[in-house]
Amino acid sequence: MKKHKILIANRGEIAIRILNACRKLGHEFVCVYTKEDAQSEHCTEALKQGGPNTLYRISSYQDPNEIFAVADDSEATAIHPGYGFFAEDFRFARRVVQRTRKLKFIGPSWKIIQDLGDKINTKRVARRLNVPTIPGSDRPIVDDLEAEELARSLFNFQNEQGVEQPVILVKASAGGGGMGIEEVHDLDRFRTVLRGIKNYARRQFRDEGVLIEQRIFDFNHLEVQILADSHGKVVHFGTRNCTVQSIGRQKRIEVAPGFYPQSISYAFDADKVLNDIIDYSLRMAREVGYNSIGTWEWIVSPMGNPFLMEVNTRIQVENGVSAIISRIGGQEVDLIQEQIRLGLDERMHFEQKDIRFEGLGIEYRILAEDPENAFTPWVGRIENFSWPDFPWLRMHTHIPRERAYDIPTEFDPNLALGIVWGQDLEQARDRGIRFLNQLVLEGRNYMGEPLKSNIQFLKENTRKLLVF
Amino acid sequence: MIDIMALLNEIKKAPYREITVSAPHTGRIEFAVKDTGIKVDGATGTWSERPGTLLARLIREGNAKPLHAPEKGEVVHFFDIEDGQFVQAGTPLLNIRHFLTKQEVIDIILKKALHLFKAPEKGRYYFVSEIDIKIKSQGLRSVNIRDGDEALILSRMKRETIIHYEGPDGIIYTTYFNSNESVEMGGPLFGVCPEDQVNNIKTVIDKIQSGWEEQE
Amino acid sequence: MTEIDKQIQDLKERLQYIQDIFGNRENANVSLLGSKLNDFVQALPSLGPSQIKRQLGSLSDLFTFLENKLEKELTPMDRVRIVRHPQRICLKDILENVYDNYTEIGGQGEYSIDPSMIIARAYITRNVGKKIYKQPVMVIGQEKGHGQEFRNGGSVKPWGNAKALEYMKVAVTENIPIHTYIFTPGSYPVEDYPGAAQQIARNIYAMAGINVPVVAVISEGGSGGAEAIGLADTRIMLSHGYYSVISPEGAAAIEGRAKSGGRISPELVESCARQLRITAQDNLKMGYIDRILQEPALGARPEHFDFFKKLRQEVILATDEIILSVRGIKLFRAIALRKLNNPNIYVRWGLSQKSGERLLWRRYQKYRSLSQWAYRDSTPAWQKYKRAVSETSWSVYSFLRYEFFGRHQRAITHLAEDVQGEVHALFGRAMHKASRLLRKLPGVKNEKEEVCQLTTLSTWEEGMSWDEHCRYISPQANQDRTLPCPNTVKFNCLDLWAPDLFGDFAGVCSHCGHHFPMEYEWYLFNVFDPRSISEFSPRLESLNPLDFEGLEHKLDQAKKQTGHKSGCMTFEADIKGIRVVVAMLLARFRGGSVGAAEGEKFSRAVEQARRKHMPFLAYVHGTAGIRIQEGTNGLIQMPRCTLSVRRYLEAGGLYLVLYDTNSYAGPVASFLGCSPYQFAIRSANIGFAGPGVIRETTGLDIPPDYHNAFMALSRGHIQGIWDRREIRNNLHHALRTMGGEFLYYR
Repeated sequence: MKKHKILIANRGEIAIRILNACRKLGHEFVCVYTKEDAQSEHCTEALKQGGPNTLYRISSYQDPNEIFAVADDSEATAIHPGYGFFAEDFRFARRVVQRTRKLKFIGPSWKIIQDLGDKINTKRVARRLNVPTIPGSDRPIVDDLEAEELARSLFNFQNEQGVEQPVILVKASAGGGGMGIEEVHDLDRFRTVLRGIKNYARRQFRDEGVLIEQRIFDFNHLEVQILADSHGKVVHFGTRNCTVQSIGRQKRIEVAPGFYPQSISYAFDADKVLNDIIDYSLRMAREVGYNSIGTWEWIVSPMGNPFLMEVNTRIQVENGVSAIISRIGGQEVDLIQEQIRLGLDERMHFEQKDIRFEGLGIEYRILAEDPENAFTPWVGRIENFSWPDFPWLRMHTHIPRERAYDIPTEFDPNLALGIVWGQDLEQARDRGIRFLNQLVLEGRNYMGEPLKSNIQFLKENTRKLLVF
Repeated sequence: MIDIMALLNEIKKAPYREITVSAPHTGRIEFAVKDTGIKVDGATGTWSERPGTLLARLIREGNAKPLHAPEKGEVVHFFDIEDGQFVQAGTPLLNIRHFLTKQEVIDIILKKALHLFKAPEKGRYYFVSEIDIKIKSQGLRSVNIRDGDEALILSRMKRETIIHYEGPDGIIYTTYFNSNESVEMGGPLFGVCPEDQVNNIKTVIDKIQSGWEEQE
Repeated sequence: MTEIDKQIQDLKERLQYIQDIFGNRENANVSLLGSKLNDFVQALPSLGPSQIKRQLGSLSDLFTFLENKLEKELTPMDRVRIVRHPQRICLKDILENVYDNYTEIGGQGEYSIDPSMIIARAYITRNVGKKIYKQPVMVIGQEKGHGQEFRNGGSVKPWGNAKALEYMKVAVTENIPIHTYIFTPGSYPVEDYPGAAQQIARNIYAMAGINVPVVAVISEGGSGGAEAIGLADTRIMLSHGYYSVISPEGAAAIEGRAKSGGRISPELVESCARQLRITAQDNLKMGYIDRILQEPALGARPEHFDFFKKLRQEVILATDEIILSVRGIKLFRAIALRKLNNPNIYVRWGLSQKSGERLLWRRYQKYRSLSQWAYRDSTPAWQKYKRAVSETSWSVYSFLRYEFFGRHQRAITHLAEDVQGEVHALFGRAMHKASRLLRKLPGVKNEKEEVCQLTTLSTWEEGMSWDEHCRYISPQANQDRTLPCPNTVKFNCLDLWAPDLFGDFAGVCSHCGHHFPMEYEWYLFNVFDPRSISEFSPRLESLNPLDFEGLEHKLDQAKKQTGHKSGCMTFEADIKGIRVVVAMLLARFRGGSVGAAEGEKFSRAVEQARRKHMPFLAYVHGTAGIRIQEGTNGLIQMPRCTLSVRRYLEAGGLYLVLYDTNSYAGPVASFLGCSPYQFAIRSANIGFAGPGVIRETTGLDIPPDYHNAFMALSRGHIQGIWDRREIRNNLHHALRTMGGEFLYYR
């Protein structure tokens, strides 16, 4: 095997997980950090495991030029983008492989990132393959009359489906991230909303196309973990349920597998839904020639209808919760290692049948925030952070334990991930509560007020996990 | 009131400030100024449109970014960096000794004389629109502020919080923040001068205007 | 002061004048005069009165003799010094001495909106037989005021030119001739409203349609400032004047910058003055003036009363001539013209409507035929013939289509529309109900299909999406390097990778929207429909009409580099199916400068648009101005092309201008700036003179963003700013909204 040097273009816990994966695979690595992040454990780990030449200070994690400059100076041969930042930036991935000094991009090929990053394209691919998608348009609608016709039939459709208070969403097709979306509750108001969105879209995106979709309420958020190599082999690592979220739609708890019909009763055939979404996801991955790790995100309606939402062409925060219930040859899986292997063009050395699932995993995202006050982030200094060691617990964090740590305000406020494994739902929940009870997270802000965390919120939600 | 003359004399003992020029990002450094003792200029022109003396070029991904002297002064120290070396972001490159201008001396003294309202937290700050409009239309020193008034908006982690002013009533005399940049906790945001002291402050400024000689 | 002192003083002044004119040059005659005068003054106390008188007489003769001799030695640069000399005659002198009486309009010394521009209502009396006629004239011209500070050397501010325009229009209302007197080194290059360039453009455009006779007299004809009042039926040039595209110093600065990094020697200035062919003789030979009025040796000064008399005759004759040439029956005109030398003929200076139209047509033809020798058309003869045939048939077609049928068809269409409207209003409600009913019938129901569309794949003909269309890859995208956005400091923009920037982002910073320069080919591929471009007159070629040193080589280089024979590419193309005629000024060909070939191509393109009834787009990829090395051959394109544009617009055409990168000087101050619809692409700079020139000529400090598109928009110079990525859509939109139903023709 050729030895690589992998530049980790990320920070925090994922940087630590990637560098550990590199070490285990026998590759070298390079880490980067910015001045706000100097106290992060990913820097300490990099120096400890790789020596002084494996850590570079850069001006920003968002500046690709910094990454490439460091890659060249450190003679890196591959780049791992982690999640966030450049993970789903097809231009970055393209530049990695098209620049004069070419590198390997640990992720899908840039064309796939581009295609699946386009929500309309994804939806159309899905429909072509008879994969269910959210009812509504699958192309930008420019014509007002056509839009109105579509809205009308979408209301009719929902009425036929027995939806009591149908709502449709009008979105700017070029928009994203919650910008340029409005709800319509009855058809008479549709015109006004459409005008507004079109004007907004024309100003903001220079493109007045809109999408019109059904708004689905009270759904569960499920994911299918896919892994594919560049030689056509596609496997899955089961499903996850990520329904516990903050009000800003940020995930707080993820559970694998996605439903638990063994002890919870559902209004639909949960096993079938899980199998269906796995099949659909595999079908699409094969169709587009997917060649890395990736997640197919689904929403499942209270009636048990799944709809494809989007595809995340990256490693996700919650990959560990799928890994902890997966076994290959009896061993726990490390999906990041698998991603790196495939990203360096290795063949997948196992088949779907070699993957076994055991028990149930819960991942807690631990944050300093105030769930009672709209999940407002808490800023200050962490003075005490500790947890007991359990064989069934995996803890990922960049927060140092032996010294105080000021939470930087520039980044995502995740502090730690605690992943708990149990034989069954019962045991996993008990262990989860046990872990949360013993977890110590204390600190003060500049006014001397104590740290606020979401631990209580996590505990409360543990009881309700997977109930739909 | 503080003893202005004593303070002035204090400053006169070392009437300069050393500015460290650092690499703004990573890259290979090529020095244009190579010796200590060289005099450099800051940006000039009515709109500061002519950049200061070229100190070095920082070459990254085929782009040579010029690093110009931020202020007038003299290069007094080079850090231990070889020409052509790859540097990381923030690496200190050289020091410039910059002799204080009248305005800078005034600023130093004002910082001592005014009531400084300091950043309660790290983050970006903006004036609330009421104050902002007033400052933009009528200039600084037109805004009266009282204890408990809504003064600033703190923006951090994509959330905005209104900050109330705490301190003596007076007028906003100077500001120290730039809404593009994050202010460290405890960093000064603006200086308030109680109205009955405005004349005192004016006297101080006049004294500096007449009593300070700028050095080359 | 005694008579003698006065005479000595007089001679001293004459000597000083001569010395001023000859500059630093060593000249035996000049030193001779100096020493003779000096000797005389030295000897003065020892001389008797008669000796003094005699010696003074012979000294004066010597002066006259040598002045005549020196006259023959005048270089072009000496002439420049003559017209700039404070003793040079000025417009006030002319008003006093040429006209019989006048009232100055809007000025009393320095109290004027612009003291460098004088307007006067004057009259000339003519005794014919027993009768006395007073013939009114509008006199317009720059005033240098013998060096009066506030006259600004005759450098007129935009509002001064606006005043001139206002009174030209008054002259039209009053149906009286206009006499313009050009005494300007060039316009004052400030952008404040109405803007140097835009106002000159407005003036030229207006003069192209002024249906009263215009006579221009040129003493100092400095580029755009001269053209602002110079578009005349007859142009008389004073023998010691100059008429040039740029001051010799300006030309030398440009040439010098290229050569030796800044130092401009007097020799270079002299050489530029010579090479630019700025004298009256040169301009007469090239055809840009109609005649020369001989001045006294070493130039006319206020005391040369004979000269004013000659000038008076000349302007009267010129005006008569213009009037007669367009008045009444042809035969009569010919006879009258022949008799013109007889001063006793009285010609009334008013024109009838018809004569006015003839005058304009004559003016158009006069300028259209200029500078034809200054470019080369290497189109083979058969192609030229083909073109002529096609042009004629297009004219016939257009006449039939738009004039003949068009008119009737329009009437019918209008009627049909009215009827339709009524019917619609009547039946609209009923139809609506009916269609609802129809849908409810089982057979007609199509809802099934609609439901399918909500959950299954719909058909989507993407048409021409951006990506599909963008087949042109800029060579700038083929380099592995990054470019810094100039707004980095303000907006924290990251350096952009060239393949992303030029391949994906159309050369626009994805963060702040700054536009990087993009080569014109990009526009050809991304603005117009694919394969719709057909170029015409590609073989019309830029030459070096003045044999200007080095231009030959530069042109060859430009031709080789761009594959074009001139800096103007003209073609027809479609924008989403709408056919337009386009003239494109290419920044890469000598900075997009305009010379005789470019002007000719532009004019032909405008004519083609007129003939075919198509909208006309001037896409200015960049222009540095008039090509100075072509001298007045380039300068004359300002009025020339503007006349074509006016003719097109009056026929009902739609003329759009789109500025990209940098557009300055002559073209903006004429045929571009006269468009009512000028748009700029973000980050374009538009103006009259660049910051360097402004600083030199006005001493003003210019902020860095002085010329940028947003400033131009705020000043009212342009009508809108577009993003490069939207040009195609915006142009299409503009064509649709401004073109209206019959698209481009009234």
